[in-house]
Amino acid sequence: MADEKTSQKKEENKKKPKRHHNKNYAVKKRLPARPVDGENVIFITKKTNFKAQLDKCCDLLTKGEKEIILHGLGAAIQRCCNLALQLEILFSGTCQIEVNTGTVEVIDDLEPLVDELDFDAQLRNTSSIHIRVFRTAMLGANQ
Amino acid sequence: MDATEFDASVGGSEHLPFSANSLKFAASRSVEIAAMTESILQPSKTKLIFQTLPVHMRRRVMSHNSKRLPQRLRLAHLEQLKKSGLPPKQKRPSRKYRRRPTNLLEEYNRRQKRNVWLETHIWHAKRFHMIERWGHRLAYAPCDKSFRACYRASSAHCLMQDISYLTPISISGSMESIKEIFSSITSQKCGLGICAQAYINGCREGLINIYKQNSFPFDYIGTVQFVWTPTNPEKKQKDLWMFVHPSQSKQIESLITDLVSSKEAIEHIEPVGKKRKLSNNTSEKVQIKVWPGHFNRFCLTGPNSHAILVHSLKCIDIDKTKNNKWVCIPNVGDLYLETKSEYWNELKAIKSTSELPPRIVIGLVVKDPRTRRPSTRTKALCNTSDHVNTKFLLKIPQFVATSPLWNTSVCNSIKENRLSNAQYIKDITESQLVPGEVNDSDPKLQSLPVVLVQRQGSQDPKFKKLGYGSGWDIIIPSSYGMPFWLTFIMFGARVGGLRETENLSFEMGQSYFPPDSEAGKLEMERKEAEFKDKYFKLPPSKRVNYLKLGINSPFACPWKVLLKDWSDIPVDDFFVIRERNVLHILQGCITNKTALPEIENSASCLVQIYVKVLGKGSLKRHALIYIPQQNDIGNIESLFEPQHKDYNEELRKTRRKEHIKEIKGQRRKQSKQRKTNNNVTKKSQLKGEPSSYVKMMRELWLPSNVEVVRFGGIREVIGYVSQGSFSFTEARNCGVGYIAYNALNVLLKSNINQVLTRNTTTRKYRLAEIRVVHE
Repeated sequence: MADEKTSQKKEENKKKPKRHHNKNYAVKKRLPARPVDGENVIFITKKTNFKAQLDKCCDLLTKGEKEIILHGLGAAIQRCCNLALQLEILFSGTCQIEVNTGTVEVIDDLEPLVDELDFDAQLRNTSSIHIRVFRTAMLGANQ
Repeated sequence: MDATEFDASVGGSEHLPFSANSLKFAASRSVEIAAMTESILQPSKTKLIFQTLPVHMRRRVMSHNSKRLPQRLRLAHLEQLKKSGLPPKQKRPSRKYRRRPTNLLEEYNRRQKRNVWLETHIWHAKRFHMIERWGHRLAYAPCDKSFRACYRASSAHCLMQDISYLTPISISGSMESIKEIFSSITSQKCGLGICAQAYINGCREGLINIYKQNSFPFDYIGTVQFVWTPTNPEKKQKDLWMFVHPSQSKQIESLITDLVSSKEAIEHIEPVGKKRKLSNNTSEKVQIKVWPGHFNRFCLTGPNSHAILVHSLKCIDIDKTKNNKWVCIPNVGDLYLETKSEYWNELKAIKSTSELPPRIVIGLVVKDPRTRRPSTRTKALCNTSDHVNTKFLLKIPQFVATSPLWNTSVCNSIKENRLSNAQYIKDITESQLVPGEVNDSDPKLQSLPVVLVQRQGSQDPKFKKLGYGSGWDIIIPSSYGMPFWLTFIMFGARVGGLRETENLSFEMGQSYFPPDSEAGKLEMERKEAEFKDKYFKLPPSKRVNYLKLGINSPFACPWKVLLKDWSDIPVDDFFVIRERNVLHILQGCITNKTALPEIENSASCLVQIYVKVLGKGSLKRHALIYIPQQNDIGNIESLFEPQHKDYNEELRKTRRKEHIKEIKGQRRKQSKQRKTNNNVTKKSQLKGEPSSYVKMMRELWLPSNVEVVRFGGIREVIGYVSQGSFSFTEARNCGVGYIAYNALNVLLKSNINQVLTRNTTTRKYRLAEIRVVHE
């Protein structure tokens, strides 16, 4: 989504550094900065199997975790929402959801493909979602 | 009653003498006495000495350990042992004697003559299986079966390996001359050159593929890591440090020295007539030095490696530098301590190493790691919630990469002034009033320059988990390996060996030793011999009959035969494609199922691919890759290789029968001979060398000359998997393999971009997807 924006804007202000299609650079991704990590924090990715992630969340909730926090970034937002809604259905009545959205700064590395250029990096904004799934009823009420 | 029986005093007739001559008395009995003493000292021949002992005093080990006998019998016992032909055993020095520090050191030095030991050798030898590899004695795998734990460490915690076996080679000279040297042994097409702007300022470590002189793309030698030492941009003389794998170091060293000497020879000849002054300019000269064992290099993999380094490395203050002797060495130059410690403090809050700029080099001057150790093993964690200023992640500040470590005299001075562990403990116990307390800035401990080099890991989230395999490499002056090593372990690093290096490269989808390099060929031969040995140790009923499965080379990949089968011309050498743009195009062709472009030497070209099995099914080393037919993809479940006929089976049976007959005849002959005359000449045969019969049988089990590999089964072979197993990152069976270029072209022309794979021990074909491995 962010990419489309830039291609439109490209004509408007040429001063802005190009994001891609520059033949002299290859764009490489870095790991985004993580929020506080913990046992009950799950980062949703598109690569991991959906069922596996769902099972992990279920396990955490049934084993007595009071709340779990799901983080999703960019294209994984949809999957993150799906997961949270699935959890709500599975733990119907004993679980609630609290959703926050935000923007995360992500760094892309520009690796030169020709000898004359140096490494470079650029900032990119990505939308993010942070879902808190917390139990409202006592443990063992469901499942 | 007869009176004569009594002596005179009682009334008898016998008269006793008034005195007895003892000498005479003894002499008359001497024969009896001699017989008695002889029979005591030399007992009858039928019994051994220890057999004279009562049963309850006999011990089993008496026959070879005379100390179990009572002392009075020992001498005679040893005499008897000698008679029976047993040479008196050489006594092994007592353990107490052997463990004395000087004797122990002597022993260690003796054992190091054959193989080089790393500084952490003794630590490893206590915990790891050690193997001899590349002239070193290296750790292979930990004794506890921590296969999965090591993967977890590399993906979520921190896996540490000692890679000090990498040989540092320093090259100094002007940039132009170095560039010229490398222009003939590297290629621009594979990536950035050695003098690229990105590397020349020393802020980043580079990787470069090295080939033999002017023979690109053939004769690949290996990939080398290099760092330029940061100097003033105006300064002409530049220093380059390369870290070369020991399997390639000899080759690369001789290659570069040859290049330099030939270049110098030309330079010396040219200016004879005109410009004499130029040849006198010695600063132009390129100097090459090899420094084996000059640095320690530890490789920390995993997101937590940053936290471990943050906890164990503490930058020194500026006023504390005077404690060190190495600071006074001329040419040390500015240390830029403030910028460095500031930058290192800024990076504290980073959660994973892959958030850092890729391949960044940081030179730090840190306190002795022994002062930073926790009392028990704890896991270093980054618990701060504050974020790093992105400014520091985008741009690397100037002078961060500089380090006095590259100055060799500094390293030597550090080595000389090292405080040994015993001295350090003595110092602490003397100076510290409270036991267990450690003075952080003890003037007796010198501070140390270290260089950190980041490894970026996976940068393509579609291929591998983002940041998998990232971590820090730390370069430490020699003799300080162990203090750093133990500190990292105390902060929760898990240690791996060579098995983990191989595993990590497999999980990253990289090839461990490419088959077109000298090292790769040697590795393949070694593996083949190992597997063959194991195979023939099995009883025949437990051996897999590869002939019946239609597999003619189960323990090696015959690349040359494969390439010859896929082209009309004979192939005597081959190479793996490493050109960046070509690999890019290949990946595009595979996804779009279009024909490959025409390239030079396509007949002798292999393409490295990553194979991922679709659905269930395992993938092992040396598995075969086949071209599927159009209808295979639909009914893959029922696709089996039919059982082949084993033409050698009858032959083996008859040969075996003949052999048994022959042996029986020989035995009969021998026993007859033994009866007639005693001296039987034994068959002289070298130990370890199998007999001609065994060799022949092995040949019948596994025919060694492989002529055709393409047409062996019901599908055509296009390549081999050089390494395959269950991949934890993909949660699937994956493999790294190579496909003949022409074969890949045929595959894509038939509008298919999937392949069939078959393990060497099964008849079942499996469907797999392929992708080209490129950075």
